[in-house]
Amino acid sequence: MGAPRSVAVVATAQTELRSAWSNAQHVDLISSTVMRLLRIAGIGLADVDFVIDSGSDVLDGRSISNCGFLGAMGAHHKEESRVEEDGLWAATYGATKIAAGAAEIGLIIAYSKPSESDVSLFYASQVEPFYQRPVGFDHLAASGLQAQQYIRMGGSEADFAKVTARAWEQAAQNPFVDIEAAPSEQEIASGEMVAAPLRRHMMARSVDGCVAVLLAGAEVARGMSSQPVWITGMGSAMDNHAFPVRKPGRLEACEAAARAAYNRAGLDPRSASIAEVSGSSAAGELMVLEALGLSKPGQGFDTYSGPTAINLSGGALPADPIMATGLLRLADAHRQLTQPKVFGLASPETAIVHAAGGVGMQTHCVVTLGV
Amino acid sequence: MLLAPDTHPIDRPPLKSTLSMPYTLTPGRAAGVFLAEAKNRRLVGARCVSSGLVSVPAQDFCPATGGSEMELVEAPETGTITGFTQTAAGIIATLRIDGADFDCVHRILEASFDELEIGARVEAVWAEETTQSILAVVGFRLAPGAPVGEVRPLQHAAEPLPMVPYHLDLHYEHAFGPFYGRMFDEIGTNRRLIGVRSTAIDGALLPPREVDDISYTKTGTWMTVPDTGTVRAMSVIHLEFKGQKEKPPYIYAEIQLDGAVTRLIHSVKGIDMSRASELVKPGTRVRAVWSDARTGALSDISHFEPVPDGDEAASL
Amino acid sequence: MARHVGIVGIGQTHHSRRRTDVSQAGLVREAVDRALADAKLTIEEIDSVVVATGPVLFGAVNMPEKWVVDAIGARLKPVVRITSGGGTGLAGALAGYYQIAGGQHERVLVVAYDKLSEGALQYSISTLYDPFWGREFAVGIMGFSAAYWRARMDVLGHTEEAAAMVSVKNHKNALKNPYAHVKKEVTVEDVMKSRPLAWPIKLLDVPPISDGAAAIVLSSEKLAAHSTDRPAWIRGMGYFCEADNAAARSMLVSEPLALAARRVYRSAGITNPRRQFDVVEVQEPYTCFELSYYESLGLCAPGEAAELIASGATEIDGDIPVNPSGGCMGANPIGAAALVRLIEAAAQVMGKAGDHQVPNAKLALAQAGGGWANLRGVAVVSA
Repeated sequence: MGAPRSVAVVATAQTELRSAWSNAQHVDLISSTVMRLLRIAGIGLADVDFVIDSGSDVLDGRSISNCGFLGAMGAHHKEESRVEEDGLWAATYGATKIAAGAAEIGLIIAYSKPSESDVSLFYASQVEPFYQRPVGFDHLAASGLQAQQYIRMGGSEADFAKVTARAWEQAAQNPFVDIEAAPSEQEIASGEMVAAPLRRHMMARSVDGCVAVLLAGAEVARGMSSQPVWITGMGSAMDNHAFPVRKPGRLEACEAAARAAYNRAGLDPRSASIAEVSGSSAAGELMVLEALGLSKPGQGFDTYSGPTAINLSGGALPADPIMATGLLRLADAHRQLTQPKVFGLASPETAIVHAAGGVGMQTHCVVTLGV
Repeated sequence: MLLAPDTHPIDRPPLKSTLSMPYTLTPGRAAGVFLAEAKNRRLVGARCVSSGLVSVPAQDFCPATGGSEMELVEAPETGTITGFTQTAAGIIATLRIDGADFDCVHRILEASFDELEIGARVEAVWAEETTQSILAVVGFRLAPGAPVGEVRPLQHAAEPLPMVPYHLDLHYEHAFGPFYGRMFDEIGTNRRLIGVRSTAIDGALLPPREVDDISYTKTGTWMTVPDTGTVRAMSVIHLEFKGQKEKPPYIYAEIQLDGAVTRLIHSVKGIDMSRASELVKPGTRVRAVWSDARTGALSDISHFEPVPDGDEAASL
Repeated sequence: MARHVGIVGIGQTHHSRRRTDVSQAGLVREAVDRALADAKLTIEEIDSVVVATGPVLFGAVNMPEKWVVDAIGARLKPVVRITSGGGTGLAGALAGYYQIAGGQHERVLVVAYDKLSEGALQYSISTLYDPFWGREFAVGIMGFSAAYWRARMDVLGHTEEAAAMVSVKNHKNALKNPYAHVKKEVTVEDVMKSRPLAWPIKLLDVPPISDGAAAIVLSSEKLAAHSTDRPAWIRGMGYFCEADNAAARSMLVSEPLALAARRVYRSAGITNPRRQFDVVEVQEPYTCFELSYYESLGLCAPGEAAELIASGATEIDGDIPVNPSGGCMGANPIGAAALVRLIEAAAQVMGKAGDHQVPNAKLALAQAGGGWANLRGVAVVSA
């Protein structure tokens, strides 16, 4: 019985991220993305051993929604599983399957079309229904409370505006994000207050989109790609459901997830070349950066001027295709590691990829990559 | 850059769909007693026997240790704000009820956002009409100098509520996309059923799609199929349930239209329903009966009806 | 290549039509406590948790793993939910299996549940159908299940009488299962005369609607001995699917099930399932499916299922007992049902099946599935 095999990301593909893909169904976005991925990877569907996908029944308006999308996903007569969590968790599932030697090539898909449903209800319906949901506690309230806590740790509303402006500027340069005009720091700072102290742009913008990633075992990966990107560590953790019981001003679950991934990878986060993270609010992004060990508590804002390239994609604030956001971060990190010049990076070697889920980012997943 | 899938765009307003789901939720012992006691205007908390930690409102499991042996307590109606925010739902705060070891969330009433501060004292505001809900306490209001209350043993606890009614309304606007859009346009405009050619097996795929499920290559050209077909599977529905569109008894049928390699789901009517299982079976030939409506939906076909023996031979 | 993984603890609730004493979270906790006690472990010794439930619209709580995590006591552990309709329990176990086999974790708790009494079952599961294409005719999963059975009836001889025998057998077996809540003997005549719901499916072809939870502890080989000297070793597990509206989709055989069986049998060294397996547990949403599974699992040739049930071979004292637990007919908490099948199979090879123990069972097969009869899984466990 040998050690678990190494697993690599060998190719990624995605749709443009738009506030609404009103001319396409889920299946249209999914099949276009998967076809493109196979073309990029130069393989046929027959080469794919399994499919693991992420999506949400409540967002899709269908029960067992994977069931109706199997053909579009290329899963017909293959092993398939639905992880009802961000696609980065699906990728970690796929990686264990390849590491175990049970498969060579896995197709990971995450998609969503929040434009077809009510995102606030998607979150509100996650809240425990007896005490918290009836009083109007939801993702917005949790994010606002979290931001207030973060300010007490040393953050500021001005930082939130700067972080948000930076994220939109980055996203405006990301060809995959559809942005007409990035809001200025001024517009952000004077925007509508949606969850005090958070203003409109300081909450992640829901968008429609789909992303697909191919994972492969070591030998196959080397054959398929001249630049396999290795998964060196994985970790995830979930905090209490009851928001007020979580530790104020910190994301302990993110810390735990990061610890697990770094231990496996032997990675000091401060040495990482790239971090692609999914904060569901401006305060959330800063808290994630701190929980990932990229800065000291309360100093997340300094991370952007530090040695690690943070969210060159723009991250989740300008484009949050709920359920696919974290897997997109993986695709972004993969692009940055394999085409560093495009992103103005010298010779990046490692990346930290982060996904979050739930009300007030209750759960976190961290994957580390290396070339 | 990947734009829309590779066919002409369709501009159809989305399909609106509402899922209106009724529930009866069981709160469990701790929340059940809390909700039952709400009508007595008593706040119920729970103390974990092993950790000694108190949660208000009452929980079945200790938030810190997961301990499951809990004794119920009566909590005071006063507490302290530990955090607050304002959303469209109003001012939502985290609160520490006096004597509790964990915060809870609730609304703050009768105060402007700017007046609030962490550490401010608050007291519960009871609803005028008693309800067995957390909203029996409508919220909390500022109560400067309110004395610090204490947790006491809960005397004569009410029986837990076994269930509470709940309702979830979910609204959707589903995009048609280029393939479904074209097909439903044809149905609505020309009363014509069209699919795309499968690239795995000779015939039409309905509904149409960009890729063939089996070959995973792009599907072929559009292909019209007649509104006649063969029942491949059927059931006589007697069951009644909430949300049902047809009134039982009716026939649920999976029909393979002539020239199609997929099945369409519809009902078969126009027969003596007392003999339904004899008259409609796998192999029965059927044809569409179109309704007067032209909405561009599958319901533009009112139903299918069996083709009498001989009719088809005559038309061939 | 992969590390060996064993089931070292099992637990399930006493299922019932409606539990008004516990919330969904409390129900989960009961099963978790039982599985952990069986494995001689505390939650602190668990590395990771997989939660499996049926479709979330059953229960009014979206992403319910994020609620029940507090009741499980799994704070700051990895917790993820796997969904796959009725087969979700087995799909969840599969994810847990790979967390260990792939070297990520040593011990994984898998918990599956549904509290079906709380929602509108047929209405919510009817949303399985494409909103554009057929949803208005949906009758939960019963409509198509009945229709596909009708298609098999003439070609494969899966008659109403043969299905009634499945109901008789499973009802009888459930009498000995302490966790089942439907405890009544029925006759073929009772089934045949029972009220048609979606003919050919009649009332007594249909399992109950239940509240229930189930949990297992999976362990690496290294740590298994701490919990038991007799784990149920996983010899193979797979979960395949089929596009619901692919060209020429068969209603006669379950191709994804046949694919899953072929894959799993190969890894488990099964060449003659009928002779090699000591006991089989299948998840039968309706009686007609058990007949179909006999054929897709290779317990008999296509067209011979009616003969197999009539021969008595699948009775608890037959040569290939199927559902000695009573299957879903004794209790059907849908999200938990697939994991219950795996638990019952494991209990048999662990020698823990109590009154419905098949003597000397060493090798057991569990089958599960869900969705549009297009998500199908298989597991083989051995002593």
